[in-house]
Amino acid sequence: MKTIKKSTNQIFAILIIAIFSNISAIAQDKVTLTDPEVASVAVVANQIDISYAEIALKKSKNKEILAFAKRMVTDHSAVIKQAVALVTKLSVTPKDNAVSQSLNEGAEKTKKMLNNASAKDFDKLYIDNEVAYHKAVIGAIEGLLIPESDNKELKGLLEDVLPALQAHLKHAEMVQSKL
Amino acid sequence: MKSFIKSIVVLSILVFGINNTICSQNSPTTHTVLIKKMKFIPEVLKVKKGDTVVWINKDFYPHDVSKYDDNAWHSSPLDKGESWSKIVTETEEYYCSLHVVMRGQIILTN
Repeated sequence: MKTIKKSTNQIFAILIIAIFSNISAIAQDKVTLTDPEVASVAVVANQIDISYAEIALKKSKNKEILAFAKRMVTDHSAVIKQAVALVTKLSVTPKDNAVSQSLNEGAEKTKKMLNNASAKDFDKLYIDNEVAYHKAVIGAIEGLLIPESDNKELKGLLEDVLPALQAHLKHAEMVQSKL
Repeated sequence: MKSFIKSIVVLSILVFGINNTICSQNSPTTHTVLIKKMKFIPEVLKVKKGDTVVWINKDFYPHDVSKYDDNAWHSSPLDKGESWSKIVTETEEYYCSLHVVMRGQIILTN
């Protein structure tokens, strides 16, 4: 039984690494994004973390996991609200692209894994994913989205989001260390 | 007579001025802490007993101000632009209970 559990965790870890390696590879491949595409990636990245949190709110019984997940829903919804207000002001329509598609494909696999995880394993799988996801998104914003943004206000919004993501990462690592 | 009146006026000004200075030195002051980019700015604030501290949230995320780490006193969640104040009577450590990595400190000085 222990071997099965270990294998499941290993498969999950490999999947997370594969998904984020893919995103890093995209970032390193000198992808060029237009501002509408940057806006799309920013919105998708926030929606994905909300979707993970919604699974956690349904499946977890751990107080700290639930508080963290609730925070992710509130904060990432606030970012989406700001992004929508900005693109509306700039008359920009977010445009689907290879990066946002890759994020969505990866998220589908992760959501499947989280939904199928046993109650016993869920909390660790969720918070490990949150740590990895926030690290990857911080890397993508710093290394891809900010450099690719032409509009000053869009760039400014992405720069404003970074401290929150860094705080989320520290919070996730704090919860992770207690599990 | 003229010089007597002049002396009285000078003395009154001096006494009033000194008294006023003492009063202003002892009167409570209001300090402002900005909540911006997931930080309390300044993170460490030195105040005198009885001073008021006002926290203003400049982020678009909600934050609160809570005593670390038992929440013995706390504000309600503050949206962007909202503020909350507290009269300080002792040295305190506080944090945002919504973003637990955000911390601040108020130190009482004589």
